[in-house]
Amino acid sequence: MYRRTAKDFALDGLIYVVLVMMGLITLLPFVNVFSKSISEEWAILAGQVGIFPVGFQLDTMKFVVTNSQFLNSLWISVLITVIGTLASLLITALTAYPLSKRELPGMGIVIVLFIFTMMFNGGIIPNYLLIRELGLINNLGSLIYPALISVFNLLVIKSYFESLPTSLEESAKLEGANNFTILFRIILPLSGPVLATIGLFYAVQFWNDYFHPMLYINSSSLKPLQLYLQDIVMNADTSSALDKSADDLMNVPAEGVRSATVIASTIPILLVYPFLQKYFIKGVLIGSVKG
Amino acid sequence: MSKRNEGEGALLGTGGRRWKLIRGNLDMYLLLIPGLIFLLLFKYTPMYGIIIAFQDFNIFGGISGSEWVGTAQFERLWHSDEFLQVLINTLLISLYKITILFPIPIVIALMLNEVRRMFFKRTIQTIIYLPHFLSWVIISGLFLNILSPSGGIVNEIIRSFGGEPISFFTDNGLFRSLVVFTAGWKEIGWNAIVFIAAIAGIEQEQYEAAAIDGAGRIRQMWSISLPGMLPTIVLMFILRIGSLLEAGTEQILTMYNPLVYESGDVIGTFVYRMGLGQQDYSFSTAVGLFNSAVGFLLIVIGNMLSRKFLNRSIW
Repeated sequence: MYRRTAKDFALDGLIYVVLVMMGLITLLPFVNVFSKSISEEWAILAGQVGIFPVGFQLDTMKFVVTNSQFLNSLWISVLITVIGTLASLLITALTAYPLSKRELPGMGIVIVLFIFTMMFNGGIIPNYLLIRELGLINNLGSLIYPALISVFNLLVIKSYFESLPTSLEESAKLEGANNFTILFRIILPLSGPVLATIGLFYAVQFWNDYFHPMLYINSSSLKPLQLYLQDIVMNADTSSALDKSADDLMNVPAEGVRSATVIASTIPILLVYPFLQKYFIKGVLIGSVKG
Repeated sequence: MSKRNEGEGALLGTGGRRWKLIRGNLDMYLLLIPGLIFLLLFKYTPMYGIIIAFQDFNIFGGISGSEWVGTAQFERLWHSDEFLQVLINTLLISLYKITILFPIPIVIALMLNEVRRMFFKRTIQTIIYLPHFLSWVIISGLFLNILSPSGGIVNEIIRSFGGEPISFFTDNGLFRSLVVFTAGWKEIGWNAIVFIAAIAGIEQEQYEAAAIDGAGRIRQMWSISLPGMLPTIVLMFILRIGSLLEAGTEQILTMYNPLVYESGDVIGTFVYRMGLGQQDYSFSTAVGLFNSAVGFLLIVIGNMLSRKFLNRSIW
């Protein structure tokens, strides 16, 4: 067996140091802001909170997660993510199946039409005017309908369908099954893992979307979590985003609230992170191999 | 379609066969209808809407009731000092992102490949992939917090060394660096994944043979791992160049403020500000069209290069 030389030990040392530094640079901002969210306001303002909380308290966190605006935005985000993901998965799979049959006349052209939209699009203003024309301003549909099919996801599902053996479909056809039945009874049940992966892609996209709500949603009762967070974090004046009277706000620790809001918005992603990591990597690799 | 040249008899025959294929699979075409409606309504209708770039669009008159102005909006674009600055910002931020942030994931992948302790490797991967899943709003909130001149930890550290606190988010000299750094912080780990997969695809025998020949590990990284990743590197690089004009619109929208427009306003944010902020619909559509057209051209050229050098098409 190969003997490790002094040079190898030096190399390993360097690699470990660099990787640990990378890990720390990624983690420390979260640790610091988390500590702030459970520290006393005076300690935050005095700049005393580093890695550990100073003057431990949970009131700020409680204030943030019981705030009715926060809960409403959380609910809107959950709604958009659940409905959006299910609808997107359904329509993407329905579209991918016929497109996976390249021998059918016309399918090739439709695929080209889809791919073209990956490279060229109308841009922000024409999209905005369309949504306006459709009467979808201040309507949650504006966040779901235009995002129903991601062409990248469509192509991943299509190439998965193409990789399935055709013998199952042929024998089902001989027994008189139509294409609807074949899709729902044979193809989709065989596609569990790829649908899970693509479902997570869609879910993260809907959950993290901030740009479209910013364009299309003004009403504060319809703001998803990302938009609410932006209002709290970016506005020096937190009062406009919190539904509290001026008197109540005298007692609100603004810095602590900002920290706690960032942390509270991160938690939902952390909860599903183990799944995300597992399936996303698979999805990225399918995408980059089959492209 | 490829059978079109097989002579007249065959032509009739294939025509008949095509018709039979369509009739026998009418339900397949039914399945396609929702997707087609989506495609036409949400993808191609906005493309038609681009024609307002050649109008002086008036929201009450609509496309049919607005005055045509030819290429006046584009002439305005070329003579606008503001747009020139925006274009320079876009190119600078994009080029910094490419030159600094493109190579790092490759190095990270090479390093992770050398780690033999699986637990350590997996822990590091789990940590550095995480920011990819968080929205730009959260990440901007996080950095706004730790970089705050009043009580942010970074400035507390600077102060404890006797320095003056720095207002990172409002300093034109620092804003671009901030944009590049946070983009790297979010995506470097994630971008390493394809390269890690590329290294995993290299045959183990190559390393064994090199070790027998006395090649050290650095030599192996240089002469086996790196060349083995090369096709992936070239492909990712071509794709990256294709989005040269996308300097990070969503990222910058969550980070910037009027104080740093001078250094941080890029094409995407400019379109947003002009269009929805100032309701200058036609002008900002013209800017958007310029953006899409250049992006399209870059992708097509990139794909040609990829075909020529890698024998592989992006689509």
